[in-house]
Amino acid sequence: MDLFLSATWQAILIEAGYGAIIATGLYFSNSAGALSVAHAAFAGMGGYLAAVLTTNMGWPLGPALVAGVALGFVSGSFLALITLRMDPLVSSLTTLAFGAAITVVAFNTPYIGGAQSFSGIPPLTNFWEVYLALALVLFAAWRFDKSRLGMAAQACRANEIAASAMGVPVGRVKVEVFAIGAGVAALGGAFRAHFILVQSANDLGFWVSVNYLIFWVFGGSYSFWGPAAGALILTVVPEFLRFSDAERFVIYGLLLTAFVIVRPQGLVGRWPTGVAPGGSKLGALIGKSRSARDHLRGPGRR
Amino acid sequence: MGQFLQQLVNGVSIGATYAVVALGFGLVFSVMRVINLAHPDFFMLGTYLAFVVGGPVLAATAGLPPIVPLVVVGLVAALGTAAVGLTVERLVFRPLRGTNVLIPFIATAGVSIFLENSAQVIFGPDPVGISAILPTVVYTVGGVTFTNTQLLVAVVAIAILALVSYYVRGTRWGMATRAVAERSLIAASCGVDIDRVAQLTVAVSAATAAIGGVAVGLLLGSTTPTIGLTFGAKSFVCMLVAGNRHIEGIMVVGLALGITEALVAGYVSSSYRDAISYGLLIAVLVLRPRGLFGSYE
Repeated sequence: MDLFLSATWQAILIEAGYGAIIATGLYFSNSAGALSVAHAAFAGMGGYLAAVLTTNMGWPLGPALVAGVALGFVSGSFLALITLRMDPLVSSLTTLAFGAAITVVAFNTPYIGGAQSFSGIPPLTNFWEVYLALALVLFAAWRFDKSRLGMAAQACRANEIAASAMGVPVGRVKVEVFAIGAGVAALGGAFRAHFILVQSANDLGFWVSVNYLIFWVFGGSYSFWGPAAGALILTVVPEFLRFSDAERFVIYGLLLTAFVIVRPQGLVGRWPTGVAPGGSKLGALIGKSRSARDHLRGPGRR
Repeated sequence: MGQFLQQLVNGVSIGATYAVVALGFGLVFSVMRVINLAHPDFFMLGTYLAFVVGGPVLAATAGLPPIVPLVVVGLVAALGTAAVGLTVERLVFRPLRGTNVLIPFIATAGVSIFLENSAQVIFGPDPVGISAILPTVVYTVGGVTFTNTQLLVAVVAIAILALVSYYVRGTRWGMATRAVAERSLIAASCGVDIDRVAQLTVAVSAATAAIGGVAVGLLLGSTTPTIGLTFGAKSFVCMLVAGNRHIEGIMVVGLALGITEALVAGYVSSSYRDAISYGLLIAVLVLRPRGLFGSYE
C-alpha cells in the first residue's frame, strides 16, 4: 500500500474518490429528470449496513459492500415509486423529507449507535480499491449513456410525454435509474464508513446531500464524468487554501456562488441544469423557466 | 393539565418564530421561485446584530424605559440584514433569474456557507451571550409560568405576520408583489417594476427573519453561527407544509408545529421531536402535494 503520496494526500484523495462515487450516483438517479436531495441518506444507509456487517458480524469488506449497495438499490426503488407521479419540485422536496426522516431514525436506533454514532469500524478502505470502484462506476456510467436505458432516461428528462408517446416505459425507466443511482451512492457511503471509521447520523442530513448536489452541479449535471470531476476538484481545491477550516469555507462559499452565476451549466455541461436544449428565451426574460413540457400542459393552474 | 398548558405556552413562542422565518421563505419563493438557502443565515445575522449592538445600546439608553433599546436593536438588526439581503438579491438572484430552480438553490447554498463561516471567523464557533435587554419578569397565571420575553416574542411574531399580511393585501406595492407572484410576465406588461418588487420582497423577508432572530436571541440568551440550521430547517418544512400562498396558513402551521413539538418533548421524548416535522412533511407531500393551503408553483 506504499504510495508515492504522503499520508495526508492519500486521505484527501480517498475522500475525493468516494465523494466522486456518490456524485456519480446522483448522475444516474437524476438522469431521468428527478432531483434527489436524499443521496447522503442512501450513502449513509449503505455505510451503516456495511459497517454493521463488518464490525458486528465479521464479514469481509466485499460482501458488505454488495449488501450496502443492495440496501441502497431497494430503498432507492421505494423512494422512486413514491415520487413517481409527483411534479419535479414536489418530488425533490419529498426526497428531502425522506432523507431527513432517515436521519431521525438513525439518531434514535440504539443498535447502530444512535446519537453517539456507530464507531469501532475496521479500517478496510484502501486507496486502490476506491479508485478501482470509481473507475468501474465511471465505466458503467459511460456505457449507460449509450445504452437503451440511458437514452430512455434522457428522453424522459427532455420530455416525458413525448417519450411515453414513443413507447418509452417512463415509470419503469425513472424507477430503475433512480434505484441504480441510490445503489452507487450506497457503495460510496460504505467506502466512507470504512475510511473515517465512524458512521454518524449527521452524515445523512440535508446539508450533506446539498454538498453532493453541489458536486453534481459544479461538474456538469448531465455528462457522465462531470459529477465525478466536480467531486474531485471541490474536495482537493479547498486543501490548497491554507487557512483555518472556517476561513477556507468562507472562500469556498464565495467561489461556489460566483461559479454558479458565471457558469450555470457546470464545468463541462452544455446547457443549464434541468433545461432541455432550446429552453425558452422568453422564460429567461421574465424569471420563469418554461420547458417544452409546460407549454404542452398549456395555460391554467400549473 | 398544568403541564399540558405549560408545554402549550412554551410551544407558542417557538412556533410563532418558525412562522416568522417561514414567512420569508414563502415570500421569496412565491415571487422569485428561489428556494433561498441563505434565509436561515439572515435569521442568524439578526441574532448576531443583537449581540453586537445590544450591550452599547443598553448602556446608551440607561434610564429610559426598556422599549427604547428594544426598538433600536430591532431596527438595527432589521436594516442591517435587509442591506445584506439586497446585496444578495443584486449579486445572486438577479443574474440567475429565469434559470432552473436548482441553480439559485446551489448559489444560495454558497451564500449560506459564506455567511455562516464568516460569522464563525468573526465571532468564533462558540456560543456568545446576548445581553438581556428586558429585565426578566416571570408571570404565573393559573399554574402556568412564562416570562415577559416569551410573551414579547409571541406578540412581535403575530404583529409581523399581521403587518406583512396587510402589506401584501392592502398596499399598492403588495398588490404588485402578488401580481408578480401570480404571473410575472403579465405583471411586467401592466407596468409593474419587477426588479423593484424583487428588492422589496427580499428586504422584507430578510428584515422579518432578522427580527425573528433578535426575538429568539433574547429568548435563548445566546447564539451560535449554526443557530440558523435548526430553526431554518424547521421553518422551511413549515412553509412547505402550509404551502407558500397564505400567510395565515403559515402562521397556523408554525404554531401547530411549535406546540406539537413542545408536547412531544414534554410527554414522549425530546429525541423524537425532530421526527414530527419531517413526518408531517412527508404526509402532506404525499396526500396534498401542493401544501395544506395551496401552491408551490
